[in-house]
Amino acid sequence: MTRILLAVVMALGVAGPRVVEARQAQAVSAQPAPAAPADGQGEFVPVSELPPTEQLPAAPLVLGAYAFIWAAVLVYVFLLRRRLAAVQKDLDQLKRQTRS
Amino acid sequence: MSLLQRAFPALLVAAMGCFVVAPYLIYQAPYESTMGLVQKIFYFHAPSGMMMFLGAFISGLAGARYLMKGTPASDRVAAAAAELVVVFGLIVLVTGPLWARKAWGVWWQWDARLTSSLLLWTMFMACMLVRKYGGPGAEKLSAAVALFGMANVPFVYVSVNVWRTLHPKTSVVPSLAPGMRGPFWFCALTFLLLFLVLLSVRLRLGEQQEELETLYLDLDDAPVGA
Repeated sequence: MTRILLAVVMALGVAGPRVVEARQAQAVSAQPAPAAPADGQGEFVPVSELPPTEQLPAAPLVLGAYAFIWAAVLVYVFLLRRRLAAVQKDLDQLKRQTRS
Repeated sequence: MSLLQRAFPALLVAAMGCFVVAPYLIYQAPYESTMGLVQKIFYFHAPSGMMMFLGAFISGLAGARYLMKGTPASDRVAAAAAELVVVFGLIVLVTGPLWARKAWGVWWQWDARLTSSLLLWTMFMACMLVRKYGGPGAEKLSAAVALFGMANVPFVYVSVNVWRTLHPKTSVVPSLAPGMRGPFWFCALTFLLLFLVLLSVRLRLGEQQEELETLYLDLDDAPVGA
């Protein structure tokens, strides 16, 4: 009796994981294949034409972006010029002082 | 006079010429299939990002040289480049959301690329604030911050490849269509010329500030009544 029980337990111990694996394999094969990554993340794909309705909403954003870039560069150049002028003024004043 | 300052007039003319031509090339470039017109922000957005990285490298390397050798010229280069990182970083952080609003439907996402770019920008803002308000020894602290900022650049660059982000991956630029490749690299050259022009002017400011400090010190050291 003990031997029979031991044989049953051993059989379950071997068969159990195999059953679980088979069920897992079934579940995996039943799942849909993972979607391929979207093209937009891997590359830019050009087209020759776009419908006009899709262009219009983007225009303010594009113009805003380019306007900001120009503004940022011009403001920085203006600030640099102002700082340069201030330092040059101080330099000229000090040079006059040291000469006198 | 340094090489950069000697080349300044040629750089300035070249940069201005390129900025006149660039909008035409961008206009001629084909539309992108999913994003359409708004993708054209890319032609200034990505080169600004490249200049931000370049500035970070220059600032970090100059800062490292200043920490090792203590040369004032290295400190001036580090300070100038750090300012340019802030300027170009601001351009990236504003033009990006303008593009994202149309492409992703949101102004901002806390994904790896955007967050790490913002952090990089704040590091160089900190670099400038330390220099301005840090008191004695601020130059060395600022150089150390710039060095730390430079170390972050590779992480910012690979963040799109390592983590799942909304931002396009680094494979976009090498795989650009021929019609887009030319305008993109032309704009990259344009921004490089702009970067060099601004760096040259900022370095000149640094040299004049140092000359002014030297004169003040000479005045302080001069004997009374001289």
